[in-house]
Amino acid sequence: MVGLLYDCLGNPLGAVRLTFEKALASSSADPSKFDGKDWGVVDLFRDFLYDQASLSQVPILNSNSLRWIQPNTLVRFRGMIQDMLGNEIYVGAYKDGSIWRTNKYADVSQSPICSSSEMRFWERRILYCVPVSFPPSFPVPGRGSWIESSSEAAAANQNRIGASQQREKRPREDEMTIDDMSLPRENGHASQSSQPRNVTEGSFPSFDAVPCSDSHISCLVKIYDTPESELKLNDVFEFVGVLTFDQESTVDNDCSDELSGSSEDMLVHLPSNKVPCLHCLVHRKLAIHDFICETISSEFVLPLNPTVFPWTLQPKSLTIKETREAILRHLTALLGNDDVAAHFMLLHLLSRVHARVESVAVGKLSLNLTCFSKENVSLFGNRLGLAIQNLIPFTHSIPLTVDYLNTASLAPRKDYETNRLITGVLQLAEGSHLTVDETQLREGMLNSVGVENARLLKNLMEFQKVEYDFKFYKMEMAADIQVLILSEGKSNILPADLVVPLRPSSASSSEILTEEALESWRWYLATLRSLPHTIVPEMQKIVEDDLVAARQADRSLGSQDFSRWLTMGRLMSISFGETSLSLEHWQMVKELERLRTERLK
Amino acid sequence: MASDSSPTRINGGPSSPDDSYSTPISNTFSSPAANTSRRRRRQSTPTDFATPPPSNRFPATPTETPTTNTRKKQRRTPISTPIASTPLSTDDVPPSSEGGDATDDVDEAPPMYVWGTNISVQDVNAAIQRFLRNFRDNNSDDLEGKYRRAIDHVIEVEGESLDVDAHDVFDYDSDLYNKMVRYPLEVLAIFDIVLMDMVSRINPLFEKHIQVRIFNLKSSTSMRNLNPSDIEKMVSLKGMVIRCSSIIPEIREAIFRCLVCGFYSDPVIVDRGRISEPTHCQKPECLAKNSMTLVHNRCRFADKQIVRLQETPDEIPEGGTPHTVSLLMHDKLVDAAKPGDRVQVTGIYRAMSVRVGSTQRTTYIDCLHLKKTDKSRLQVEDAMEIDNDLGRNAGDAPLDYEDKVAQLKELSKQPDIYERLTRSLAPNIWELDDVKKGLLCQLFGGNALKLPSGASFRGDINILLVGDPGTSKSQLLSYIHKLSPRGIYTSGRGSSAVGLTAYVAKDPETGETVLESGALVLSDRGICCIDEFDKMSDNARSMLHEVMEQQTVSIAKAGIIASLNARTSVLACANPSGSRYNPRLSVIENIHLPPTLLSRFDLIYLILDKADEQTDRRLAKHIVALHFENPESAQQDVLDLSTLTAYISYARKNIHPQLSDEAANELTRGYVEMRRRGNFPGSSKKVITATPRQIESLIRLSEALARIRFSEVVEQRDVTEAFRLLEVALQQSATDHSTGTIDMDLITTGISASERMRREQLVSSTRNVIMEKLQIGGHPIRMVELLEELRKQSSCGEVHLGDLRTALSTLASEGFTVLQGDKVRRV
Repeated sequence: MVGLLYDCLGNPLGAVRLTFEKALASSSADPSKFDGKDWGVVDLFRDFLYDQASLSQVPILNSNSLRWIQPNTLVRFRGMIQDMLGNEIYVGAYKDGSIWRTNKYADVSQSPICSSSEMRFWERRILYCVPVSFPPSFPVPGRGSWIESSSEAAAANQNRIGASQQREKRPREDEMTIDDMSLPRENGHASQSSQPRNVTEGSFPSFDAVPCSDSHISCLVKIYDTPESELKLNDVFEFVGVLTFDQESTVDNDCSDELSGSSEDMLVHLPSNKVPCLHCLVHRKLAIHDFICETISSEFVLPLNPTVFPWTLQPKSLTIKETREAILRHLTALLGNDDVAAHFMLLHLLSRVHARVESVAVGKLSLNLTCFSKENVSLFGNRLGLAIQNLIPFTHSIPLTVDYLNTASLAPRKDYETNRLITGVLQLAEGSHLTVDETQLREGMLNSVGVENARLLKNLMEFQKVEYDFKFYKMEMAADIQVLILSEGKSNILPADLVVPLRPSSASSSEILTEEALESWRWYLATLRSLPHTIVPEMQKIVEDDLVAARQADRSLGSQDFSRWLTMGRLMSISFGETSLSLEHWQMVKELERLRTERLK
Repeated sequence: MASDSSPTRINGGPSSPDDSYSTPISNTFSSPAANTSRRRRRQSTPTDFATPPPSNRFPATPTETPTTNTRKKQRRTPISTPIASTPLSTDDVPPSSEGGDATDDVDEAPPMYVWGTNISVQDVNAAIQRFLRNFRDNNSDDLEGKYRRAIDHVIEVEGESLDVDAHDVFDYDSDLYNKMVRYPLEVLAIFDIVLMDMVSRINPLFEKHIQVRIFNLKSSTSMRNLNPSDIEKMVSLKGMVIRCSSIIPEIREAIFRCLVCGFYSDPVIVDRGRISEPTHCQKPECLAKNSMTLVHNRCRFADKQIVRLQETPDEIPEGGTPHTVSLLMHDKLVDAAKPGDRVQVTGIYRAMSVRVGSTQRTTYIDCLHLKKTDKSRLQVEDAMEIDNDLGRNAGDAPLDYEDKVAQLKELSKQPDIYERLTRSLAPNIWELDDVKKGLLCQLFGGNALKLPSGASFRGDINILLVGDPGTSKSQLLSYIHKLSPRGIYTSGRGSSAVGLTAYVAKDPETGETVLESGALVLSDRGICCIDEFDKMSDNARSMLHEVMEQQTVSIAKAGIIASLNARTSVLACANPSGSRYNPRLSVIENIHLPPTLLSRFDLIYLILDKADEQTDRRLAKHIVALHFENPESAQQDVLDLSTLTAYISYARKNIHPQLSDEAANELTRGYVEMRRRGNFPGSSKKVITATPRQIESLIRLSEALARIRFSEVVEQRDVTEAFRLLEVALQQSATDHSTGTIDMDLITTGISASERMRREQLVSSTRNVIMEKLQIGGHPIRMVELLEELRKQSSCGEVHLGDLRTALSTLASEGFTVLQGDKVRRV
């Protein structure tokens, strides 16, 4: 068969099998050669998806599309790796009569495996992924609505394409699959796919408190032949693969104690008939601008090739400077005409951890806006919250109260009963934004959970690390979360890098936002954030002299202050789209710091 | 039926493994499949099937339905009837290959091979016999082999298993070892048979079935690296038990009774997890249909438990979650481990199908042997103390240990090891090199000495850090605390005397008095870090006197008189009396702690924050580099925490340096000089005078310094460095002895060796210039001119006015020059 004949979209497994046969033929029919290796499937699909730009035809998996997507077709899923369920060994290839067949990328073999036949065991990794824009256990009103709406639209679009293709392809698929159980399976599916929606929420023991958004579902992803280091916990990925529903796990209950013993942990507690399973063919790590670009407009070519620098996607040829001005105006208006605070806010929104030296996370810039009172926090706080949600894809907020601290589970913890990592509020994807509202904090007693939670938050601010509780020991995971704190006075529980007293002069914000402007701002934040940055030797000298002079003048300045200045310098020049620190920007930083310290007095 | 399964049948077994296991061995990958084929063959041709012994032991074939596992129950044969282990032999005639009843006969049988390999069953059989009979420990000259004795012992105590060290097997016959690891199912079956044969020869009446438990494999696998190629192989794993299932009784033999006539059936053996209920009564007179019912209390059950093992934290790569694996425990191994235990297991990695038709396989380890790894060896807690504990890498196989030691020794040979260790200590804390050196000495410690007369000299070094706020004292403290986890971290403000030492409490229920240890007792052989030492109440502080010199805590109250060991080093930090160092007051006045307590500290560091452009510049450079350069390039030459811990614990354990003669002489000389300096006229009260305690401190410090080099001899240079440390600590070089105050310009704390050298060089070149240009009592010279002059000739690079000023005041303190405003005059 010629490559073009593969129906990668409608019958990916067929393509897998055909390539397997082909590869087998050229390797003297010895499947052991394929142990832990790919025989060309990944290349085929990569070529199909990226070089032929068919990625957009692949439907995105969510609970809406789940209704109409057929099992065993190609889907894509975007999500954060929330838990790793270890490796699974499966019958990768087996001999059916005299022919070797493969089960790769499938849960069920195409024909019943004769128990006498020869088999090869292969291995795959199981990941549990959750939709990323929704911190899984916390309700935020209107969170990430723009992402949702855009993907919704895309999905609807897919629906049409997918459905029509499906109809065309159906007969051929049936021809190709010798699978005698394929029919009943599909039937079973139709009936089942309508019900999961109602059950999704309660079905998860760990997430039952989660008012999960309707259109988002978690997904079990099975990864093949990929080095372990490539996929890390909390990474956001786009997986393209074969969708299956593993219905049979429910049948297990009647099995003997054996099963409930050794395999219970993985299977019984995963309602796999409710959670779709994706056998991943191609995966791609997503950065924030991957989410932005897609929403900007469909005219732009998707950054299929990760090496294409997102510059090319700049919308409407607005200059960076103009965008910067606009976003600053926006932030200023939001903060009651407080220009200084708006500047700091912008730097804060651009920050990210770009290096870790020892325990120091270089590049973080947490911001503590003080001088909020009970009256204006609802106004500014809400406005700010909404604005941030509009600008940054993954946002999250915590109302810091004694009650919350005492009850919330911030750190993810391992539940050995179910062998699952139960997520915590602080299990966030890289680049998430976290707003902590401390204005509601009243006097009260913290219990041990509260103390622990306060410590976790503090650790996050200081080291950008979150301790995961594995019961017998704790493990620190690196995080990259922008933290914004709203408080009345300087927060002592959460020591931020920057403390800026807010000086609003007006409370009204009559700005009307155009979708266009928002898009360009999102693009601006996401793109500039990842810019590389350097310093020229001359500038380095100037900076050093300034630091020394400052320390000579004020002995209380320490390495933390210097670090903050340099981070601000970096972010300042980045905010102008420049990749190396200039004197002008350094002066701006110094001026900002001067204004800030004045306010603190 | 039961009569059929006599022990001799077991003996006849050896030939059978190759029958039944022929397929699995063809190829380890496909073995599970092959096993299935065996199963099928069984059904069709019962004669093929005379493979009882192996199936006893590892009955579950992966491809079978999960229930097959139940057959595993058969494998650990019940104590009373070894026969049950050979259940299948009951239903068929021994095949011809099983010609002989005794193992010896096997030799005469035609050679048999494990299918697909060139492993001959007879060879293996003979090899095992040779091993069990002849293996002797290297160091014992016993006539009887090690395992002969072990077997005798097992028979004597009526044990159920014989532990066999895989290292012994390897040493005796590496070929056998390899076969055993690669084909454990087959080889262990033969092993069991050989063993039973030997047992029955020694004691024909011995009825129990003894099993071989292999442990201590040559290599142990990481849980993460288990992969399909390990299936059906013997593996050894380390991990932490996180969950144990309840004990599952597994039926092995069922007995049925006819409801009609009351006839009891013969025991029905579990086959692939199923008990086939007889469809009709077997009593010829009755033959009633569907009348049989299970008699529970006559069935035989065995214990089974499923244990989950998880990776230890040090094996988890960044961004990963720990892997887990299931262990299947039987009989004696049930409840051998509890959640939280760190264990090393040896077992066979197996895969079994989850359900019929599925392609998934669940994997588990059929556990053969479980060893609890000694807690103390694994926990970092005892890194400072315990023998071959290599800190975080603890639990390495002995082989690794040797490597590690060699590595550490190699490290110790480096000429700059002292500097390197200093750099590695709290690398994120800027400067403070000399303080770090002192702390390093504390970590290594001196030699504790106990004279025959009963007098003892402590080896622990106590350090007090006194300094301005914000000089990262607390950070240093918590770093040290982290490095020596035996240590306890307390804050002076929150500590009471009893909290530090020990207190007597009454048990509320029984009314008994109990002694509860405080921080100092708990940190026995560790380091007790006390923050905010100055804020501590006097009462609490006075409790420390005993601890710091006698290294014990004595309790005499409520009917308990006890003396507890508290061999701990104390690391305390305090702020100067006026919270900031006041240069106008003397050192003593600034520290403001009772001299009795002060003298118990070996090193008292004054960490003063002085406006020094040089250090500021380095700090600025460091931070700029942090932000703009590739972090990797900046981080070199620093030992990681685990290596550091390993290095320290090895030295503490194994190196016990002795004073050399020169070193002793140097000590005496230096001490005399120190005393003399202390007696400086008019200074009697204002400087810390040298006491005999100081010479002990010096010995300890020099010993620690020798230890750092892994040297068994304290050399003169160690003593010199010890003196230097002592001096630097108190800024003595900067102290004006006439007033007891410190000249702030002369403070050297936190100045690196190179910097110090540069300064010394500058002093000497300034002296030279002054010698050249000025006459004694002649015209003064302006400092700027002097600077010009220096810059002209100086070889030491850029000279700043500040540097010059420092150099000149050094010279002034030597009485060489006099400073008048910005003019210099030579006197």
